[in-house]
Amino acid sequence: MNGEIRELYTDADMARMEQRIKTMRTVLWALALGALGVCAALTARTGTLNAQRMELAVIAVSTLAGWLVIYGCIFVLTPARRELAHAVMLRSEEREEVRGALTVTGERVAIRHSITARRAEACMDDGTTRRLMVCESRAGAMAAADPAAVYVCHGYVAAYEVKTCGS
Amino acid sequence: MRVVKNILSQLHTFVLWLLASALIWGWVFTIVTDTSPEKKVTVYCHVPTMADTALAAALEEDMPQGLRMIQVHTFDYVMFGKDLFDRGDIFIVPASEDPAFVQDLLPVEGEGGTKVYDAATGEGVAVDYIHYGDEDYYMYLGSGSVHLEDGAALAVARTLLEME
Repeated sequence: MNGEIRELYTDADMARMEQRIKTMRTVLWALALGALGVCAALTARTGTLNAQRMELAVIAVSTLAGWLVIYGCIFVLTPARRELAHAVMLRSEEREEVRGALTVTGERVAIRHSITARRAEACMDDGTTRRLMVCESRAGAMAAADPAAVYVCHGYVAAYEVKTCGS
Repeated sequence: MRVVKNILSQLHTFVLWLLASALIWGWVFTIVTDTSPEKKVTVYCHVPTMADTALAAALEEDMPQGLRMIQVHTFDYVMFGKDLFDRGDIFIVPASEDPAFVQDLLPVEGEGGTKVYDAATGEGVAVDYIHYGDEDYYMYLGSGSVHLEDGAALAVARTLLEME
């Protein structure tokens, strides 16, 4: 009774995540180097009369740009990289099949410090219950597909099986 | 709301960057706005207040060749270290200055200090920049100046004496 197996992270998802990380890295580098260039230009235009004003301007530019870069690194780039690493792990490591009815709960947990996951419970065919986790960004689509089985890697749902016509 | 929450969770990092930025650029500007004694003439004025930056900029308009900048500072003999005393090129001091301090200074022209401010008439040099106290003031050259031989200290002193 095998149906179609859908990966939680498809090849297209992986490519999109990698591209997003590359773009973010480029933007952050451009911001940092741009700010450094502005600071260097202001420093080069410093004279006896405007030295204090220029110093304040340079500190302001460097601080604000630094804050943006820090924010981007901590709250945008790092979570994206962690999610990519998580997806790579889900796609590459050994999985076990859990067959039964799956219910995604509303309980949220943070995994790898910044990825939000939802708890799920699988009522297996033998009557036992397994507690699993599924990344929040994929939980909705998976729950809507009403999977007949899930493939689990280190307690995380890596793929799910949906019934297809004729199966 | 989420952005604010994120910022608050990493507030120490943002504050640390602010301090690092101020320290790094403060150090850079110290280098940019200063140079070796050979490339600058330093004027020390023992006066209550003065527009030091504006006076330095005005003096730099007629700067002798070979110099990169002219620095002007207020000072108090009591707070003045020996190292700064040795590095000073021009000194403007009140008539009541400690004789022990003045005896180590050199005259600009002739003997003794050159009078730069007359308290009785209120007339003096660079009065738009220097706010003299209620006594006469005199100008001297520093005995440890590195610009005695090349004449830069004397040239700047003369420019200063010509300023109204």
